[in-house]
Amino acid sequence: MRRHRVWTGKLALVVMLSLLTASWVFADARGVTKDGIKLGLVLVKTGPVAALGLPNGQGMVDYMSYLNEQGGINGRKVEVIWEDDQFEAPKSVAAVKKLIHRDKVLSILTTGGTQQTIANLEQINEFKITNIPNALVREFFDPLQPYIFAMGATYEAQYQCIVDYIVDELKMKDPRIGVVYEKKEYGKISLDAIKERAAKYNIPVVAELVLPTGSVDASSQIMALQKENANIVITCTLLPATITFLKSGQKYNYWPTVFGFNWATDDMIVKACDEGAKNYIGVNFVGAWSDETPGIKLARDLAKKNNREVGLTSLYINGVGVSWLFGEAMKRAGKDLSPESLKTALETLKNYETGGVFPPVNYSSTSHAPGEMVKFFKADVPNKRLVSISDWRKPKELK
Amino acid sequence: MPIRSKTFNESYYEDIKLFRTIWIKFWAVIFVAALALLPYIGDPYFVYLVNLSCLATVAAVGLNILTGYTGLISLGHAAFVAIGAYTAANLANHLGTPFWINLPAAGLIAAVAGAIVGIPCLRLKGLYLAMITMSFGVMVEYVVITWEGLTGGVRGMSVPAISIMGYKLSTDERLYFFLIAITAMLLFAANNITRTRVGRAFVAIRDRDIAAEAIGVNLTYYKVLSFAISSFYAGVAGGLYAYTMRHIHPDHFTLLLSIQYITMIIVGGMGSIVGSIFGAVFIVVAPEFIKLFAQSSARVFPVLEGRYDEEWNIAAFGLLIILFLIFEPGGLYSIWNRIKIGFKNWPFTY
Repeated sequence: MRRHRVWTGKLALVVMLSLLTASWVFADARGVTKDGIKLGLVLVKTGPVAALGLPNGQGMVDYMSYLNEQGGINGRKVEVIWEDDQFEAPKSVAAVKKLIHRDKVLSILTTGGTQQTIANLEQINEFKITNIPNALVREFFDPLQPYIFAMGATYEAQYQCIVDYIVDELKMKDPRIGVVYEKKEYGKISLDAIKERAAKYNIPVVAELVLPTGSVDASSQIMALQKENANIVITCTLLPATITFLKSGQKYNYWPTVFGFNWATDDMIVKACDEGAKNYIGVNFVGAWSDETPGIKLARDLAKKNNREVGLTSLYINGVGVSWLFGEAMKRAGKDLSPESLKTALETLKNYETGGVFPPVNYSSTSHAPGEMVKFFKADVPNKRLVSISDWRKPKELK
Repeated sequence: MPIRSKTFNESYYEDIKLFRTIWIKFWAVIFVAALALLPYIGDPYFVYLVNLSCLATVAAVGLNILTGYTGLISLGHAAFVAIGAYTAANLANHLGTPFWINLPAAGLIAAVAGAIVGIPCLRLKGLYLAMITMSFGVMVEYVVITWEGLTGGVRGMSVPAISIMGYKLSTDERLYFFLIAITAMLLFAANNITRTRVGRAFVAIRDRDIAAEAIGVNLTYYKVLSFAISSFYAGVAGGLYAYTMRHIHPDHFTLLLSIQYITMIIVGGMGSIVGSIFGAVFIVVAPEFIKLFAQSSARVFPVLEGRYDEEWNIAAFGLLIILFLIFEPGGLYSIWNRIKIGFKNWPFTY
């Protein structure tokens, strides 16, 4: 009788262990069910910089809806849960916690800007949150961060390309560079990059002037630049401050060639400044809204279909591109989609084309660095848009 | 023989006791037990919200001592939080000192800064004081951005996790008990300050400074002391913030943060320690309820489906401040008091 009981006990234990193992083996990965995939998105929707986050996030959401209409990812429909961080690090951390622990998303498309992503770094690694941050700084890929995939040329690379362009394309006899920057991370990094590159070409940087984002007038900066005879002005400011600068320049009849980086290279600059933007040349790592490439055409169609009144078109394109890369990675991960397989799938992208949205994308298990490629754009004032004037290019190798 | 009521007090000591009745003790035990169990019941997101509430509570109590108790308005509270945060971060990064040195040091450095700001503010009140403290906030923001060697400038600064005998408080669950303990200690201290001679001097200055001076309250001393104590709390809150977020940046300590602290004490209740807790928790947790409310409303009114966004919170906060100022200037604490008295006197109305 006692022996019988022992055997029954052992059998029950084996059955329980088998059930536990089976439940573990056949359990769905976080955020993935038989017919659905949940993705998170942490991006500013409201507050002072909402104009940047909204088109970006809308691009991401619209592309995922497009994938769903095409049949989804390996038969699974994608749901995107968008949390607003109002561009504040503590709120971004809270949003990531909510998405991971309550909504149980597979991953988060982006965890926001530099500050937000740094604040979330531990969570990103702990919960294997594969993401493409909205930040262009080296520390996210050098040294390698296992779950962060950088997309878009760094500020250093963008300004190196601009100085290369001044030397190779403008071929001015006596270039005198004035820099207008903002005392923010991107402004400081950009200023240092310009000074370093200009020194290599022996081009003088004759002025370094601060222009905050909220400025409504740049008269003092314009006068200082005129005094120094700066015939080239490189701006390291966001779109609003760049618009202020161009408008002030027009007011003082000051017409240097003005360069700007990706956050200020958008059709909006021509719409806002009109004739004032005629000498503006910008760089960006996404194609122009007016391009006739398949990726950009798709972005335009998606915006139209979803009734988006896209203010900043370059950011909408960027959003479409980020979702495009995620969509491709999820397809490549196949049926066994999980946080780890998603990361591994992104690492298989080699010279991957997004139809002109981004430059060719390359990641590997040892490098998640961006391509460092940009295109140059010039204002087309009559049509109130930017048009590309170059193909994708990288900074030149200098000794 | 007189009939004693439930809260019959025969001495001043009895009147100012923290735990005056058996019921207060009972509910305090229940509350502590609930707090102890919370990390095992709530998910990490909820625990994180509680941690944020602790940070906000410490800073709000500090502001309430200055504004609610002493009647001196400050729009520069975030600057003292920043001073505390950068002090703790620098000590931890450059000297490798432990948290039990860094946190008090964060408070003390902020307190010294507070006293320095307090001295020129002695003759100022109302709008003028608000302008001076706001200007101080702008100055600190500028220093934080430009003094790169000390603050990391616009790149910010990383902060190591608190380590207690080799045990790192690197997760929210681990930090939770630490933050609760520190917050409780600081609340206890604040409550005691308000019950002492110092606290009564603060209240006297708030109610009528000339009268206070006439009865022997040293205005200079107590106003500067109020600034220093308030800044000490802000500094410790900043140090705790640095250890919680593990990365600090100038954007974290703007004028908007000072305004948030003002909102907390208005909504919670000016001149009340409990009110500071209510206000801080309310401002941190309210967005969750607003979201929940919006989502529930959408089920009843389909026209609201998908319409919720964070602007609702901002609008709701604005509306709440207006409503509180008009209908409930005493804040949540006043409502809480009425409920308590209602229960105490039941079935009588007063």
